[in-house]
Amino acid sequence: MARRRGYRKIIEADLDIMPLMNLFVVLIPMLLLSAVFVEISAIDMDAPAAAEEVSTPRESLDLAIEVRADRYVVRGRGLRERTIARDEASADTTLAAHLDRLRRDHPDESAVRILSPPRVRYQEIITVMDISRSVGLGAISLVGRDPAGSGRTVEAR
Amino acid sequence: MMDILTVLLLFLLKSFVADGEVVTPSPDVELPTSESRDALEESLVIAVAEDRISMGGELVTALGPGFRAPDDGDLLIVALADRLEQARAQRDDLAARRGRPDQRKNRVTIQGDRSMPFEVLERVMYTCNQSGFHDIALAVLRG
Repeated sequence: MARRRGYRKIIEADLDIMPLMNLFVVLIPMLLLSAVFVEISAIDMDAPAAAEEVSTPRESLDLAIEVRADRYVVRGRGLRERTIARDEASADTTLAAHLDRLRRDHPDESAVRILSPPRVRYQEIITVMDISRSVGLGAISLVGRDPAGSGRTVEAR
Repeated sequence: MMDILTVLLLFLLKSFVADGEVVTPSPDVELPTSESRDALEESLVIAVAEDRISMGGELVTALGPGFRAPDDGDLLIVALADRLEQARAQRDDLAARRGRPDQRKNRVTIQGDRSMPFEVLERVMYTCNQSGFHDIALAVLRG
Protein backbone atom coordinates (compact mmCIF):
# COMPACT_ATOMS: atom_id res chain seq x y z
CA MET A 1 0.00 0.00 0.00
CA ALA A 2 2.72 2.40 1.00
CA ARG A 3 4.65 1.35 -2.05
CA ARG A 4 1.82 2.23 -4.39
CA ARG A 5 1.46 5.69 -2.86
CA GLY A 6 5.18 6.36 -3.38
CA TYR A 7 4.89 5.41 -7.02
CA ARG A 8 2.16 7.98 -7.56
CA LYS A 9 4.10 10.84 -6.09
CA ILE A 10 5.01 13.39 -8.78
CA ILE A 11 8.57 14.54 -8.65
CA GLU A 12 8.92 18.12 -9.69
CA ALA A 13 12.36 19.13 -10.87
CA ASP A 14 13.55 21.59 -13.49
CA LEU A 15 15.85 20.28 -16.17
CA ASP A 16 19.12 22.10 -15.79
CA ILE A 17 20.00 23.12 -19.32
CA MET A 18 22.53 25.75 -18.38
CA PRO A 19 25.63 23.57 -19.08
CA LEU A 20 24.20 22.69 -22.49
CA MET A 21 23.44 26.34 -23.23
CA ASN A 22 26.96 27.27 -22.27
CA LEU A 23 28.31 24.68 -24.66
CA PHE A 24 26.12 25.99 -27.48
CA VAL A 25 27.07 29.57 -26.81
CA VAL A 26 30.71 28.62 -27.28
CA LEU A 27 30.30 26.16 -30.14
CA ILE A 28 27.98 28.15 -32.39
CA PRO A 29 30.10 31.31 -32.72
CA MET A 30 33.18 29.14 -33.23
CA LEU A 31 31.56 27.16 -36.05
CA LEU A 32 30.01 30.29 -37.55
CA LEU A 33 33.41 31.90 -37.71
CA SER A 34 35.03 28.91 -39.34
CA ALA A 35 32.16 28.12 -41.71
CA VAL A 36 32.88 28.84 -45.36
CA PHE A 37 29.80 30.32 -46.94
CA VAL A 38 31.35 30.99 -50.31
CA GLU A 39 32.03 27.96 -52.39
CA ILE A 40 35.33 27.93 -54.19
CA SER A 41 35.96 25.82 -57.26
CA ALA A 42 38.95 25.29 -59.47
CA ILE A 43 39.68 25.65 -63.14
CA ASP A 44 42.46 23.24 -63.90
CA MET A 45 45.17 24.42 -66.17
CA ASP A 46 47.80 22.15 -67.60
CA ALA A 47 50.91 24.08 -68.42
CA PRO A 48 53.09 22.52 -71.05
CA ALA A 49 56.63 21.70 -69.95
CA ALA A 50 59.11 24.48 -70.52
CA ALA A 51 60.62 22.86 -73.60
CA GLU A 52 57.31 22.80 -75.45
CA GLU A 53 56.38 26.27 -74.37
CA VAL A 54 55.11 27.44 -77.71
CA SER A 55 52.68 24.78 -78.75
CA THR A 56 51.23 24.50 -82.19
CA PRO A 57 47.58 23.51 -82.26
CA ARG A 58 47.07 20.09 -83.74
CA GLU A 59 43.44 20.59 -84.67
CA SER A 60 42.56 21.79 -88.10
CA LEU A 61 40.29 24.68 -87.19
CA ASP A 62 42.78 26.51 -84.94
CA LEU A 63 39.99 28.45 -83.28
CA ALA A 64 41.04 31.57 -81.43
CA ILE A 65 39.11 34.14 -79.41
CA GLU A 66 40.83 37.44 -78.96
CA VAL A 67 39.62 39.30 -75.87
CA ARG A 68 40.11 43.00 -76.47
CA ALA A 69 38.94 45.85 -74.26
CA ASP A 70 36.13 46.77 -76.64
CA ARG A 71 35.49 43.62 -78.68
CA TYR A 72 35.82 39.87 -79.05
CA VAL A 73 37.36 38.64 -82.26
CA VAL A 74 36.73 35.02 -83.20
CA ARG A 75 38.89 33.60 -85.92
CA GLY A 76 39.95 30.23 -87.21
CA ARG A 77 41.41 28.50 -90.20
CA GLY A 78 38.94 28.74 -93.07
CA LEU A 79 36.50 30.81 -91.02
CA ARG A 80 35.33 34.32 -91.66
CA GLU A 81 36.59 36.55 -88.87
CA ARG A 82 33.77 37.62 -86.56
CA THR A 83 33.97 40.71 -84.38
CA ILE A 84 31.55 41.12 -81.47
CA ALA A 85 31.41 44.55 -79.86
CA ARG A 86 31.64 44.29 -76.08
CA ASP A 87 29.80 47.49 -75.28
CA GLU A 88 26.49 45.72 -75.84
CA ALA A 89 24.96 43.86 -72.92
CA SER A 90 24.35 40.83 -75.11
CA ALA A 91 28.01 40.44 -76.15
CA ASP A 92 28.56 37.31 -74.03
CA THR A 93 25.36 35.69 -75.31
CA THR A 94 26.29 36.52 -78.91
CA LEU A 95 29.75 35.02 -78.39
CA ALA A 96 28.24 31.89 -76.85
CA ALA A 97 25.78 31.53 -79.75
CA HIS A 98 28.53 32.02 -82.33
CA LEU A 99 30.84 29.48 -80.67
CA ASP A 100 27.96 27.05 -80.32
CA ARG A 101 27.25 27.35 -84.05
CA LEU A 102 30.94 26.78 -84.86
CA ARG A 103 31.02 23.80 -82.52
CA ARG A 104 27.97 22.27 -84.19
CA ASP A 105 29.53 22.79 -87.62
CA HIS A 106 32.78 21.17 -86.43
CA PRO A 107 31.77 18.57 -83.83
CA ASP A 108 35.29 17.13 -83.52
CA GLU A 109 36.72 20.44 -82.47
CA SER A 110 37.27 21.02 -78.74
CA ALA A 111 40.33 23.25 -78.73
CA VAL A 112 40.25 27.00 -78.51
CA ARG A 113 42.93 29.57 -77.83
CA ILE A 114 42.14 32.67 -75.81
CA LEU A 115 44.38 35.55 -76.78
CA SER A 116 44.66 38.46 -74.41
CA PRO A 117 46.45 41.75 -74.48
CA PRO A 118 48.33 42.45 -71.21
CA ARG A 119 45.76 44.80 -69.65
CA VAL A 120 42.69 42.60 -69.93
CA ARG A 121 41.18 41.83 -66.52
CA TYR A 122 41.27 38.32 -65.07
CA GLN A 123 37.47 38.17 -64.64
CA GLU A 124 36.97 38.83 -68.36
CA ILE A 125 39.25 35.92 -69.25
CA ILE A 126 37.46 33.62 -66.79
CA THR A 127 34.12 34.65 -68.33
CA VAL A 128 35.32 33.79 -71.84
CA MET A 129 36.70 30.48 -70.54
CA ASP A 130 33.28 29.74 -69.02
CA ILE A 131 31.53 30.52 -72.31
CA SER A 132 33.94 28.24 -74.20
CA ARG A 133 33.47 25.41 -71.74
CA SER A 134 29.70 25.80 -71.78
CA VAL A 135 29.56 25.11 -75.53
CA GLY A 136 31.92 22.15 -75.27
CA LEU A 137 35.19 23.80 -76.20
CA GLY A 138 36.98 22.45 -73.15
CA ALA A 139 40.61 22.35 -74.29
CA ILE A 140 41.46 25.97 -73.63
CA SER A 141 44.86 27.54 -74.08
CA LEU A 142 45.63 30.97 -72.71
CA VAL A 143 47.94 32.85 -74.98
CA GLY A 144 49.76 36.01 -74.11
CA ARG A 145 52.12 37.83 -76.35
CA ASP A 146 55.66 38.53 -75.40
CA PRO A 147 57.51 41.44 -77.02
CA ALA A 148 59.18 39.10 -79.49
CA GLY A 149 55.75 38.34 -80.87
CA SER A 150 55.69 34.62 -80.23
CA GLY A 151 52.84 33.33 -78.10
CA ARG A 152 53.31 31.63 -74.77
CA THR A 153 50.58 29.22 -73.97
CA VAL A 154 49.13 27.58 -70.92
CA GLU A 155 46.51 24.94 -71.55
CA ALA A 156 43.37 24.25 -69.55
CA ARG A 157 42.32 20.67 -69.24
CA MET B 1 15.23 28.12 -28.17
CA MET B 2 17.04 24.86 -27.54
CA ASP B 3 15.53 23.40 -30.70
CA ILE B 4 16.78 26.30 -32.80
CA LEU B 5 20.23 26.06 -31.33
CA THR B 6 20.37 22.31 -31.87
CA VAL B 7 19.33 22.63 -35.50
CA LEU B 8 21.83 25.44 -36.07
CA LEU B 9 24.60 23.45 -34.43
CA LEU B 10 23.90 20.37 -36.54
CA PHE B 11 23.73 22.46 -39.72
CA LEU B 12 27.04 24.13 -38.97
CA LEU B 13 28.70 20.85 -38.08
CA LYS B 14 27.43 19.31 -41.32
CA SER B 15 28.70 22.18 -43.47
CA PHE B 16 32.01 21.96 -41.66
CA VAL B 17 32.36 18.26 -42.36
CA ALA B 18 30.99 18.32 -45.93
CA ASP B 19 33.53 20.86 -47.06
CA GLY B 20 36.40 18.44 -46.70
CA GLU B 21 39.24 20.70 -47.66
CA VAL B 22 38.75 24.04 -46.03
CA VAL B 23 39.88 26.65 -48.49
CA THR B 24 40.19 30.14 -47.18
CA PRO B 25 40.53 32.85 -49.77
CA SER B 26 43.08 35.51 -48.98
CA PRO B 27 41.37 38.50 -47.34
CA ASP B 28 42.70 41.02 -49.85
CA VAL B 29 41.83 38.93 -52.89
CA GLU B 30 38.43 39.15 -54.55
CA LEU B 31 38.16 35.97 -56.60
CA PRO B 32 36.47 35.98 -60.02
CA THR B 33 33.17 34.17 -60.40
CA SER B 34 32.86 31.19 -62.68
CA GLU B 35 30.47 28.37 -63.47
CA SER B 36 33.16 25.77 -62.88
CA ARG B 37 32.18 23.08 -60.37
CA ASP B 38 35.52 21.30 -60.12
CA ALA B 39 36.66 20.74 -56.58
CA LEU B 40 39.71 22.53 -55.34
CA GLU B 41 42.45 20.23 -54.07
CA GLU B 42 44.93 20.95 -51.37
CA SER B 43 48.11 22.43 -52.77
CA LEU B 44 50.49 25.33 -52.57
CA VAL B 45 48.59 28.61 -52.86
CA ILE B 46 49.82 31.75 -54.57
CA ALA B 47 47.62 34.75 -53.78
CA VAL B 48 47.76 37.59 -56.27
CA ALA B 49 46.12 40.70 -54.85
CA GLU B 50 45.94 44.08 -56.56
CA ASP B 51 49.22 45.27 -55.09
CA ARG B 52 51.13 42.17 -54.05
CA ILE B 53 51.88 38.51 -54.59
CA SER B 54 51.98 36.39 -51.46
CA MET B 55 52.42 32.75 -50.56
CA GLY B 56 51.16 31.33 -47.26
CA GLY B 57 50.36 34.83 -46.03
CA GLU B 58 53.90 36.05 -46.57
CA LEU B 59 54.68 38.78 -49.07
CA VAL B 60 56.66 37.57 -52.06
CA THR B 61 56.77 40.73 -54.14
CA ALA B 62 54.90 43.99 -54.47
CA LEU B 63 53.00 44.77 -57.68
CA GLY B 64 53.65 48.47 -57.99
CA PRO B 65 53.97 50.54 -61.14
CA GLY B 66 57.53 49.21 -61.36
CA PHE B 67 56.28 45.67 -61.82
CA ARG B 68 56.76 45.29 -65.53
CA ALA B 69 58.29 42.61 -67.66
CA PRO B 70 61.87 43.45 -68.53
CA ASP B 71 62.58 44.57 -72.06
CA ASP B 72 64.20 41.29 -72.99
CA GLY B 73 60.77 39.68 -72.70
CA ASP B 74 61.63 37.37 -69.82
CA LEU B 75 58.40 36.87 -67.91
CA LEU B 76 59.98 35.16 -64.90
CA ILE B 77 59.21 36.70 -61.48
CA VAL B 78 62.48 35.97 -59.71
CA ALA B 79 61.20 36.41 -56.11
CA LEU B 80 58.31 34.03 -56.78
CA ALA B 81 60.58 31.49 -58.47
CA ASP B 82 62.83 31.52 -55.37
CA ARG B 83 59.89 30.96 -53.04
CA LEU B 84 58.56 28.15 -55.20
CA GLU B 85 61.98 26.55 -55.15
CA GLN B 86 62.03 26.74 -51.33
CA ALA B 87 58.53 25.29 -51.13
CA ARG B 88 59.53 22.45 -53.43
CA ALA B 89 62.58 21.68 -51.30
CA GLN B 90 60.41 21.63 -48.16
CA ARG B 91 57.86 19.34 -49.78
CA ASP B 92 60.56 16.98 -51.06
CA ASP B 93 62.12 16.90 -47.62
CA LEU B 94 58.76 16.16 -46.00
CA ALA B 95 57.98 13.43 -48.54
CA ALA B 96 61.39 11.84 -47.96
CA ARG B 97 60.82 11.80 -44.19
CA ARG B 98 57.36 10.34 -44.64
CA GLY B 99 58.82 7.72 -46.94
CA ARG B 100 56.30 8.13 -49.72
CA PRO B 101 56.28 10.46 -52.69
CA ASP B 102 54.05 13.53 -52.66
CA GLN B 103 51.31 12.89 -55.22
CA ARG B 104 50.54 16.55 -55.76
CA LYS B 105 54.02 17.94 -55.70
CA ASN B 106 53.59 19.73 -59.03
CA ARG B 107 50.27 21.29 -58.13
CA VAL B 108 49.79 24.94 -57.35
CA THR B 109 46.61 26.99 -56.90
CA ILE B 110 46.47 30.61 -58.00
CA GLN B 111 44.04 32.80 -56.08
CA GLY B 112 43.96 35.85 -58.30
CA ASP B 113 42.06 39.07 -57.79
CA ARG B 114 39.36 39.54 -60.40
CA SER B 115 40.81 42.89 -61.48
CA MET B 116 44.32 41.51 -61.99
CA PRO B 117 45.60 42.25 -65.50
CA PHE B 118 46.33 39.29 -67.73
CA GLU B 119 49.98 40.32 -67.85
CA VAL B 120 50.38 39.45 -64.16
CA LEU B 121 48.54 36.13 -64.49
CA GLU B 122 50.69 35.25 -67.46
CA ARG B 123 53.89 36.00 -65.56
CA VAL B 124 52.78 34.06 -62.48
CA MET B 125 51.82 31.06 -64.59
CA TYR B 126 55.03 31.26 -66.56
CA THR B 127 57.05 31.36 -63.32
CA CYS B 128 55.16 28.34 -61.92
CA ASN B 129 55.79 26.49 -65.13
CA GLN B 130 59.48 27.32 -65.14
CA SER B 131 59.74 26.23 -61.49
CA GLY B 132 58.34 22.82 -62.35
CA PHE B 133 54.77 23.38 -61.12
CA HIS B 134 52.94 22.31 -64.27
CA ASP B 135 49.62 21.44 -62.66
CA ILE B 136 48.03 24.84 -62.13
CA ALA B 137 44.53 25.44 -60.77
CA LEU B 138 42.80 28.81 -60.83
CA ALA B 139 40.63 29.37 -57.76
CA VAL B 140 37.22 30.85 -58.60
CA LEU B 141 33.99 31.54 -56.76
CA ARG B 142 31.04 29.47 -57.82
CA GLY B 143 28.73 31.92 -59.54
